Amino acid sequence: MNILYDYIYYAGAFGLIFIGIFTMMVKRNYIKVIIGLSILETGVNLFLISVGYISNGTAPIFSNPGIEAKNMVDPVPQALVLTAIVIGLAVLSLALSMAIRLYKHFGTLDLQQIKEQRW
Amino acid sequence: MNEMSILDPVLLIAIPLGLAFLIPLLGLVSKKIVRWIPVVGFLFNGIVALLILPHVLKQPIIVKIGGFVPPFGINLYAGSVGMLLASLIAITGFLVSIYAVKYITKGAEQKYHILFLLLLTGATGVVLTGDIFNLFVFFEILCISSYALVAYLGTRSGLEASIKYLIQGSIGSSFLLIGIGLLYGQFGTLNMADLARQIVDYTEPSVFVSMVFMITGLGIEAAIFPLNAWLPDAHSSAPSSVSAVLSGIAIEVGLYAVIRVLFTIFAVSNFFIFFMVLGVLTVLIGEMSAFAQKNIKRMLAYSSIGQIGLIVFAFSISTQLGVAGGLFQMVSHTLGKALLFLCAGYMIFRTGSMEISSLEGIGKKMPITALCFTIGTFSIVGLPPFTGFASKFMIIRAALANGELLLQILIGLVLVGTIIEGAYFFKIIQTIYFKGAHKTDNREEAPVTALIPMLILVSFIIVIGMFPNIIDKVLQPAASELLDQVKYIGSVLG
Repeated sequence: MNILYDYIYYAGAFGLIFIGIFTMMVKRNYIKVIIGLSILETGVNLFLISVGYISNGTAPIFSNPGIEAKNMVDPVPQALVLTAIVIGLAVLSLALSMAIRLYKHFGTLDLQQIKEQRW
Repeated sequence: MNEMSILDPVLLIAIPLGLAFLIPLLGLVSKKIVRWIPVVGFLFNGIVALLILPHVLKQPIIVKIGGFVPPFGINLYAGSVGMLLASLIAITGFLVSIYAVKYITKGAEQKYHILFLLLLTGATGVVLTGDIFNLFVFFEILCISSYALVAYLGTRSGLEASIKYLIQGSIGSSFLLIGIGLLYGQFGTLNMADLARQIVDYTEPSVFVSMVFMITGLGIEAAIFPLNAWLPDAHSSAPSSVSAVLSGIAIEVGLYAVIRVLFTIFAVSNFFIFFMVLGVLTVLIGEMSAFAQKNIKRMLAYSSIGQIGLIVFAFSISTQLGVAGGLFQMVSHTLGKALLFLCAGYMIFRTGSMEISSLEGIGKKMPITALCFTIGTFSIVGLPPFTGFASKFMIIRAALANGELLLQILIGLVLVGTIIEGAYFFKIIQTIYFKGAHKTDNREEAPVTALIPMLILVSFIIVIGMFPNIIDKVLQPAASELLDQVKYIGSVLG
C-alpha cells in the first residue's frame, strides 16, 4: 500500500500516456486520434510535474527570512510543463485545423479510407 | 566577448527568429520584399557561421545565456560539430530561399517564408544548444513548421502526408519529453555536460530507460528504419523547395540529436552493433523501395532513407575515421539531395507530372537543369570526382580499418545498397537523355533564380569532391569532439 502511495502520481501519469498512445494507434477517426494526442500530452505534463512534487510543499519563493528550502517544490519541472503546454497547444491547433481541411478534401475523417499513398 | 560581438553564435538563432516575426510587418510595406527576407537572413547566418567556424576549431565557444554559469541556466555549445552543421544549414537555407523567390508563387506566400525561417531556426538551435530541454523546444519549432510546410500546397496528398507526419512526429516528441523527464528525475539537471558527468558515475541500468525513450523519440524525426513510415509521403508531397530542406537538413538534424545523445550524454559503447545493423537495414530497405518507385520525388525520398542508413552505419563504427566519415556523408547528402530536389522541382513544374516516364527528352529541353541533376545523382551514388565518392570512400576505409569480419560483411551489404542506388539513378538519367528521340525546339530552361542555387551547389559538390582536405580540417576536430566526452564536459563546466 505504501509503495502505491509513493508512486501514485507516476502510475496515473503513465496510465494517461498509455491510454493516449493506445487511442492514437487504434482509433480510425481523426478527431479521436487528436483526443488521444491531447491525453498523451496531459500524461506527459503530469509526469513532469510529479517529478518535482513534494506533498504539502510550498511555492519556491523566499518571501520572509524564516522559510526553509526543504519543503519547496522544484520549480524547474513547472517551467518545463508551462513550455510543454504551449507547444502542445500549437500542435493541437495545427492538427485540428488540418481536420477541417481534411474533411473539405476527402469528405470523411476516417483515416482508414484515406490511403492514396502507400509504400 | 565584447570585441567579437558580431561573432556571437546567439545571432545565428536570434536573427532568423526575429526576421520571421518581422515578415508580417514588412509585408504591410511591400509584398515583394517578403520573398527576399529569408535570403538576407541566411546570407547573414552563412557569413557569421563561416567566420565563427575557424575560432571554434581551436576551442569551443560556450555562450551563457543571461549570464548564468552552467549547469544553471541554458548554455549554447558552439563546437566544431555544431558550427559545421550550422554553416551547412545556413548555406543550404540561403540557396533554397533564393530558389523559392520565383518558385513559391501560389498560396499564402508570407506564411511560407515565416515557416521556412522558423524551420531552419529550429534546426540551427538544435545543433547549437547545450541544454536538453532547449533541444526539445527547438526540435518542436522545427517539427511544427515542417508539419505545416508539408501541407503548404493544400493538395490531397500534401494533407494526407502532413497528417501522418504530425501523428507520428507528435508521438516522437512526447517520447523525447518523457525521456527528458526521467533524466531530470534521476539527476536533477538539464544541462548536457552536467548530465554526462553524472551518468559516467551512475551504474544502475535504469538510466537506459530514458535513453530508449529519447532515442525512439528522436529516431522518428531522424527516420531510422522502423520509424520512418512518414518520410516518403512527407518528402514527396511537399513543395520541392521544402523537400530539399526536409531531406537535406531536417532528418540530418534529427540524426545529429541522436548521435549527440548517444555519444555525449550516455557515452554508450556496447551496443553500437545494434545501430550498425539498423543502419544497414535502413540502407537496404530505403534503396530497394526507391528502386520500385515510378514517382521521381518518392524515389528521391526513399533514397534519403538509404543515405540516412549509411550515416547511421558510419557513426556506429564509432572510431575517429568512422564518425568523420558520417559527418562527411551528412555534408555530401545535404548538398546532393538539396540539388536533386531543386532540379526535380522545375523538371516537374515544366512537365506537369511527377512520373519518371514523363521526363523523357527533358535533357534537351532543359539542358542545364538536367546536367545539374545528373551531377547530383553521380554525387549521391558516389562516383568520383564528386563529394559522394570522397565521403563513401572514407566510410569504407573506416569500416575496413580494424579488419573485423562483421564490419566487412556489413559494409558489403551497404555496398549492395549503393549498387541498387546506382541502378535506379542511372535509369532516370537514361530516361532524361536517351529516351524520347523527338526533337524539341522550344528550350524552357528554369529561371535564373533557380539556376544560380543549383550551379552553386554543383560547384560545392565538385570542389569538395576534388579537394576533400578543405572540409577534412573541420571534420577531424568535429569527430573528436563527438567522441571525447570528457573534453566536452570540461569545456562547459570548467
